[in-house]
Amino acid sequence: MSLYATRRRRNSIATSLAWAAATFGLALLALILTSLLYEGIRGLSPAVFTQMTPPPGSQGGLLNAIAGSLVMTGIGVAIGTPLGMLAGTYMAEYGRYTKLTMVVRFINDILLSAPSIVIGLFVYTVMVHPMGHFSGISGAVALAMLVIPVVLRTTEDMLLLVPGSMREAASALGAPRAHVVGKVAYRAAKAGLITGVLLAVARVSGETAPLLFTALNNQFWSSDLNAPMASLPVVIFQFALSPYKDWQQLAWTGALLITVAVLTLSIVARALSAGRRKS
Amino acid sequence: MTVIEPDQRKSDGADKVSDVVLEQSVSRSAAPVDRAGALKRIALADRIFFQVTRAAAVIVLIILGGVIVSLVHGSLPSMKAFGFGFLTSQAWNPVLDNFGALPAVYGTMITSLIAMLIAVPVGLGVATFLTELCPHALRRPIGVAIELLAGIPSIIYGIWGLFVFAPFVQTHVQPALISAFADVPVLSAMFAGPPYGIGMLTAGFILAIMVLPFIASISRDVFETVPPVLKEAATGIGCTTWEMMRFVVLPYTRVGVIGGVMLGLGRALGETMAVTFVIGNAHKISPSLLAPGTTISATIANEFTEAVGDIYTSALIQLGLILFVITFIVLAIARYMLMRIERNAA
Amino acid sequence: MNMTASHNEPPTKVTVRNLDFYYGASKALKSINLPLHVNKVTSFIGPSGCGKSTLLRVLNRMYDLYPGQRAEGEVLLDGQNILDPAVDLNALRSRVGMIFQKPTPFPMSIYENIAFGIRLYEKLSRADMDARVEEALRGAALWDEVKDKLHTSGLGLSGGQQQRLCIARSVAVQPEVILFDEPCSALDPISTAKVEELIEELSEQYCIAIVTHNMQQAVRVSDYTAFMYLGELIEYGDTDSVFTTPKEKRTLDYITGRFG
Repeated sequence: MSLYATRRRRNSIATSLAWAAATFGLALLALILTSLLYEGIRGLSPAVFTQMTPPPGSQGGLLNAIAGSLVMTGIGVAIGTPLGMLAGTYMAEYGRYTKLTMVVRFINDILLSAPSIVIGLFVYTVMVHPMGHFSGISGAVALAMLVIPVVLRTTEDMLLLVPGSMREAASALGAPRAHVVGKVAYRAAKAGLITGVLLAVARVSGETAPLLFTALNNQFWSSDLNAPMASLPVVIFQFALSPYKDWQQLAWTGALLITVAVLTLSIVARALSAGRRKS
Repeated sequence: MTVIEPDQRKSDGADKVSDVVLEQSVSRSAAPVDRAGALKRIALADRIFFQVTRAAAVIVLIILGGVIVSLVHGSLPSMKAFGFGFLTSQAWNPVLDNFGALPAVYGTMITSLIAMLIAVPVGLGVATFLTELCPHALRRPIGVAIELLAGIPSIIYGIWGLFVFAPFVQTHVQPALISAFADVPVLSAMFAGPPYGIGMLTAGFILAIMVLPFIASISRDVFETVPPVLKEAATGIGCTTWEMMRFVVLPYTRVGVIGGVMLGLGRALGETMAVTFVIGNAHKISPSLLAPGTTISATIANEFTEAVGDIYTSALIQLGLILFVITFIVLAIARYMLMRIERNAA
Repeated sequence: MNMTASHNEPPTKVTVRNLDFYYGASKALKSINLPLHVNKVTSFIGPSGCGKSTLLRVLNRMYDLYPGQRAEGEVLLDGQNILDPAVDLNALRSRVGMIFQKPTPFPMSIYENIAFGIRLYEKLSRADMDARVEEALRGAALWDEVKDKLHTSGLGLSGGQQQRLCIARSVAVQPEVILFDEPCSALDPISTAKVEELIEELSEQYCIAIVTHNMQQAVRVSDYTAFMYLGELIEYGDTDSVFTTPKEKRTLDYITGRFG
C-alpha cells in the first residue's frame, strides 16, 4: 500500500508540474500578445497609414515603412515563387533521381533553416557592396532568397504527394509531360502550393535581419528601388531602440500590424490545407 | 446478374463487325494529319518547359551555393589576418583592427543554453499537457494557438523583451537573484553586478519564450506518434500517467524529442532580433549572467552597417560563417533524428 | 462462333515479338510472342507477379516514365515497332489508351476530365466540344447519370462511375487500342457488371487487352486468353479452348485453382 501511495504521490507531482508548465508557458505567450495589443492599439490612428515616419520628437505615421514592406515583400515573392516552384517541379517531376536534385535538396534544406542574417550578409556582398549603396531592390532579393527554400520545399513535397497513378492516367491519354504537370499535377496539389506561398509570405513579412544591411531604411517616401527603402521591421527595430516616446509608440503599433498580417496569413494557409485534407 | 457465356455473347454482334471496321478507318484517316501538327507544337512546348524547370533548379543551386561560397570568400581577409586565433581571441577593437570571435561565440552559446534550460522542460510539460491532461475540447484550439505563435516574427519577442520584460527583470528578478545568491560561492559570481535589466540572462529568457511554442508543438507531434495500443497497454497494467510518460512515451519518442529540441536550439543560435534588443552588445566575457554581452548575430546586426575597413567587415562575415557552421551542425543532427522517428512511425 | 474465329482469324492490330523486359537487372518478361486482334478482347491471366501488368505497360510504353526499366524485342502496332526510341510517346499513347486498376479522375470537373484529352490534339468550338464530351460519356454509358452535373468535380462520383468516366476520357481521344489493367478490382459487383458490359460494347470498335485476376471475368469478356506465369507466356488461344481444353498442365492447374 505504501508503494502504491508513493507512486500516486509521484504521479500527482509530475502531472501538477505539467499543468504548471502549460499554465506558465501559455500565460507568458498570452501576456506577450496582450501587451502587444494594448500598446499597439493605443497608437493606432489614421495617421499611421497616411503619414511618413517622423523625425525625432514629432508626430507621424508608418506609411513609407508599410509601403516599403509591401513593395519588397511583393518583389521578393514575385522573384522567389516562380524560381522555387519551377525548381521544385524539376525535382519532383523530371529529375527525381538525378544528382542535381539531390544536391539542390541538400543545399535547400540547409538554407531553409539557416540564420536569416547570413542571407543579409550574402546579399550585401554580392549586391550592396558592388553597387556602392543600399537599395530597395537588394532588400527584395534578400527576401526572395528566404522565399525560395520554403516554396521549393513545399512544391516538391506537394507534388510528391500527387499519386503516380494520376500522372500515368494523364500520360496514357497522350498528354506530354508539361501538360501532365501543368494541368493535372499542379491542379491536384493546388491547395498545398498556395499554402506554401502564403507561409513564405508570412515568414518574410516579419523578417528584419536580412533587411538591415540591404534595404537599410529611409525616413521618407521612396519608390526608387535603387535607393534605400524603409520597411516595417527595420523601422520597428530603429524606433524601439530610440529614446523618443513617439518613436517607441510607433514601433509598438508597427509590431501589432506585422503580427496581425502574419497571423492572418498563417490562418488562411491552415484553413486551405485543412480543406485539402478533407477532400 | 447474368453470366454471359462466351459463345452466346459474340454471335449477335458478328455481322456488325465489318462495317464498324470500315467506319473506323474512315474516321481515322483524317485524324493523324491533325495530330502530327499538334504533336510538333506539343513536343516543343514540352521541351521548353522541361528546360525551364531544370534551369530554375540550376539557378537555385547557384544562388544558394553562392551563399556558402561568398561567406567563405568574404571571410578570407579576416582568416588571413587572425588565423585560428580568431576563435580564441577576446579582442574586439575596430580602431586597431584587431578582432576575435570568442565573446560573441560565448554569448551565443550561453544565451542558447539558458533558453534551452527553460524552454525544454516547459515545452515538454506543455506537450504532455496537450496529449495527456488537457480536456479534449481544448486540445485542438490550444495546439493551433501554439503553432500560430511559433510563426510570429522574432522582432515581436524582441520589442516585448525590451519594453516589458527587461524593466521587470531589472526591478524584480535581478535584485532578488543578487541578494539571494550573495553568500553562495559560485552563484554569487554568476549573479553579480548592478541590475541593468538587459544582459545575457534576459536574452536567454526571451529566446526561451521564442522557441517555446516551437519545441512544444514539435514534441506534441512526436508524442502523438506513439501508437495508442502501447499507451493502453501501459494503463492496462496499472501505470499512472507519469509512469506511462516516463516508461513508455519518452523512451519511444526519445530520438524525436531530441530532434525537436535540436531544431529549437538551431533557431535560438541563429536568432537575431529577439536577442539584439536585450543583450546589451558588450564584447567581453563576464562571469555574471546579469552582465551585458553579445551574440554572433547581434554583433553583425549592430555593427555591420557601420563597419569601416575591409578587415572589420571581413571579421563580421567570418562571424556569420561560424554561426552558419554551428547551426548547420545542430540542424543536421536534428534532421537526422527527426528522420529516424518519421521512419519509425511509417 | 469462336471456332470459326480461330480458323478465320481477324486482322492483327498489335504483334508482340520476342519481347524481354527488365526492371533494372531482373528480367520480368521472357521472350513473349503474341498477337492482339482488331475488334477482339484479349485477356491476360496468371498469378500475381507473373508479368501480365508489365506486358500491358509495354504496349503503350508506360514504363518509360520510370528510369531503369527497359524492353527488348519488338512490339508492332500496325506494322510499326513502337519500341523504337524514335517513336513519339505522346502520339503512341493517344493511339493506345489505358484504364487503370484504381479510378483516376483528374481533380477537375467531369466535363473538363473528358475535354482534357481532346484539347491536346484538337481545337474545337464550344459546341463541337460539347458534342464530343456527350458522345464520349454516352459511349461509356455514363451520360444519363452525369448530364446534370457536368461541371461538378469528377472526384464526387462513385467508384464505378469514376471508372466509367476514365473509360469515357480514354475513348474521347479516339484511340485504336484500349488497355485495361484490372479495371474492376476496386469495384463492387454491380459496377463490375456495368464495366464488363461496356468493354463488350467497346470491342465492336477497338482492339482491347485486359489484365484480370478474375477468371470468370476473362471468360465473360474476352475472345482470346493468354495465361502467363513467372514472366513467360505459357498458353495463348481463344478463350473457350484455354478454359475448357488447356494444352498446358500449368494452365489447367491455375484455372482449376490448384495454385495462384
